[in-house]
Amino acid sequence: MTLATENLRKAFGGVVAIDGATVEFQPGKVNALIGPNGSGKTTFFNCVTGMIRADSGHVRFGGHDVTRKAPHAIARAGVGRTFQLCRVFPRMTALDNVLAAVRPGGFPKALRGARNPDEIERARTWLTRLGIEHLADVEAREMSWGQQKLLELAGVLMAEPETILLDEPAGGVNPALLDRIGALVRELNSEGRTFVIVEHNMDLVMSISDHVVVFDRGRPIAAGPPSVIRTDERVLGAYLGV
Amino acid sequence: MPNVSRRLLPLVPVVVLAVAILSFPSLAPNPYILSSGIVVLNYAVLATAWNFVGGFTGYISLGHGALAGLGGYATGLLVTKAGMPAFVALIAAAVLVAALAVPLGMAALRVRGASFVIVSIALVLILLLVFQSWASLTGGSRGLVVPRPFPSLLRPEHHRVFFFLYGGLLALALLTWWIVDRSRFGLGLKALREDEDKASALGTPTFTYKLIVFVLSATFTALGGGLYALWFGDLDPVFQFSVLTGSYLVLMALLGGVRSLYGPLVGALVVGTALEYFKGSFGNTPLHLVATGVLLAVVVLVMPDGVLPALAAGWSRLRRTSQTSIREVTAAELRDQRTSAASAASGSARSADSAGFAGSAGSAASGAGATSPGTDAGVSERASAHERSGGGGGKPDSPGRRDQEARR
Ligand SMILES: Nc1ncnc2c1ncn2[C@@H]1O[C@H](COP(=O)(O)OP(=O)(O)OP(=O)(O)O)[C@@H](O)[C@H]1O
Ligand SMILES: [Mg+2]
Repeated sequence: MTLATENLRKAFGGVVAIDGATVEFQPGKVNALIGPNGSGKTTFFNCVTGMIRADSGHVRFGGHDVTRKAPHAIARAGVGRTFQLCRVFPRMTALDNVLAAVRPGGFPKALRGARNPDEIERARTWLTRLGIEHLADVEAREMSWGQQKLLELAGVLMAEPETILLDEPAGGVNPALLDRIGALVRELNSEGRTFVIVEHNMDLVMSISDHVVVFDRGRPIAAGPPSVIRTDERVLGAYLGV
Repeated sequence: MPNVSRRLLPLVPVVVLAVAILSFPSLAPNPYILSSGIVVLNYAVLATAWNFVGGFTGYISLGHGALAGLGGYATGLLVTKAGMPAFVALIAAAVLVAALAVPLGMAALRVRGASFVIVSIALVLILLLVFQSWASLTGGSRGLVVPRPFPSLLRPEHHRVFFFLYGGLLALALLTWWIVDRSRFGLGLKALREDEDKASALGTPTFTYKLIVFVLSATFTALGGGLYALWFGDLDPVFQFSVLTGSYLVLMALLGGVRSLYGPLVGALVVGTALEYFKGSFGNTPLHLVATGVLLAVVVLVMPDGVLPALAAGWSRLRRTSQTSIREVTAAELRDQRTSAASAASGSARSADSAGFAGSAGSAASGAGATSPGTDAGVSERASAHERSGGGGGKPDSPGRRDQEARR
């Protein structure tokens, strides 16, 4: 399903964070969204996922206009996300963190027990896949930064999103974990999930993405395959401040 | 512990509670003690009802006194003005308050943290004004007299009946809380308590969930207030719409522990009994207000999770030390310790290589093992930097007259 925005705009007082951004991500691919600090990447994610309301413009997902939808509705439509400063439920165990992403269903279905064996099985599968199964009963606040990042991803995956937005997955993780995250994204992508990844680590971006969108001052200034973006003069200018 | 006894363990408090409630009226030496028991049970019901909101969502309401007051006045007015039978009026009043809680919740639950506390206080003050000044309906500050539902019963019998009614209501409230606690709905609520934006990003309809649990809480609170009206028979706006009631409930729930089923009940037993004792021995002094304030401060500072979790933690620590002394660390655990140490180290190294948000990233990384519940949302992104104060520093209002004086 295609995720796209049209003339999206968001200002915080006098600061225009997103300045009429029209972007279309490639479905089924690993998309990267790069740009200097403060170029509006996180704000863009926040607008797309309904966490903050855009001033104007549209967000479309799979042909539906989701611009004014609540975050949970957009999540249920199939857009999952992680946060730049990794967010997990600190006082819940890893297992509960992942179970919290299960769709509860309406009432009275939502009153059924949260510890359904099938869901626990599924949650454990994700924890295993991310290599943190042994921490299932540990509270998230007791986990390391890298483990929390993996846990956050496990929760997002539990919700079975079609498209996954990652805000700086490589931020603060060691090289070994970095490689694992890169490999994981590729693997999950080959299973049919679309990715949009905000990332400053250019090695990672260039090695895993199929399509790169470059932001500068709240709008895209270039888009294309990594090989082309790498040599684009506007991109070099935006990054080097030339 | 053998499996069977572990399965039966949760039934122990149920049995203890049932026995205590069933035997107390016979054990109480005089009607005054029995009536004090009713007051404490009333607190237990209200604190448990409060905990539907406070415990599951972390929203600290000081306005629950007003919801109880509304339940009381609605019951009283339906009996006196509409001529309804007492217990039909009680149910109808709870339904009315539940209906009113929908718009109230929709307005109040839009703001988080300290703002929510203030909105909840405003609710109490507004209702106090309305009920005081609308004297033609409510009797104003002269009060509203509600006829007894069982006029033929003598006073001790009257108390005994209401003690059991309160016991039944408490059981119902506890059962409901338990059902919510173990449900998917409950897990969604607990998720939003920890991080509301995160929960919504995972697909939890946070606003709807908060509203539903608020209405549930209001319903039980109104039932408690309505039962009080029928038992006590005399309503005065100053006591019914008092921020003090809400403060007591906050204190009780925090003291016992908002995350546990029996926490508010235990808190109500301790605080409610102490309040009754102080009123009985020292009369009407502002002393108990001071004591309440001090106790609240101590609880928030020393045992932010309450007495029950503190006891449980102490118990498991005792057991763990006795275990580890004879247990060897497995190879797998050693490996885990090493990997977590390694990734923690790389986490703090992070601030060095990403200068754009070095400060906050560094603190989040080093805080991986020490993120406190009150600040977790504070380490969030600017876009959603709603502050969420963890504790409810509810300041008791000015000392009002005691409402126990006129107890029959
Ligand atoms: N909640 C907010 N209130 C005010 N200004 C904000 C808010 N969120 C973002 N901004 C501003 O909007 C601009 C874009 O910020 P944003 O966080 O989206 O950038 P970014 O591209 O994600 O940067 P980085 O790479 O450093 O994460 C910045 O100038 C920032 O100061
Ligand atoms: Mg950002």
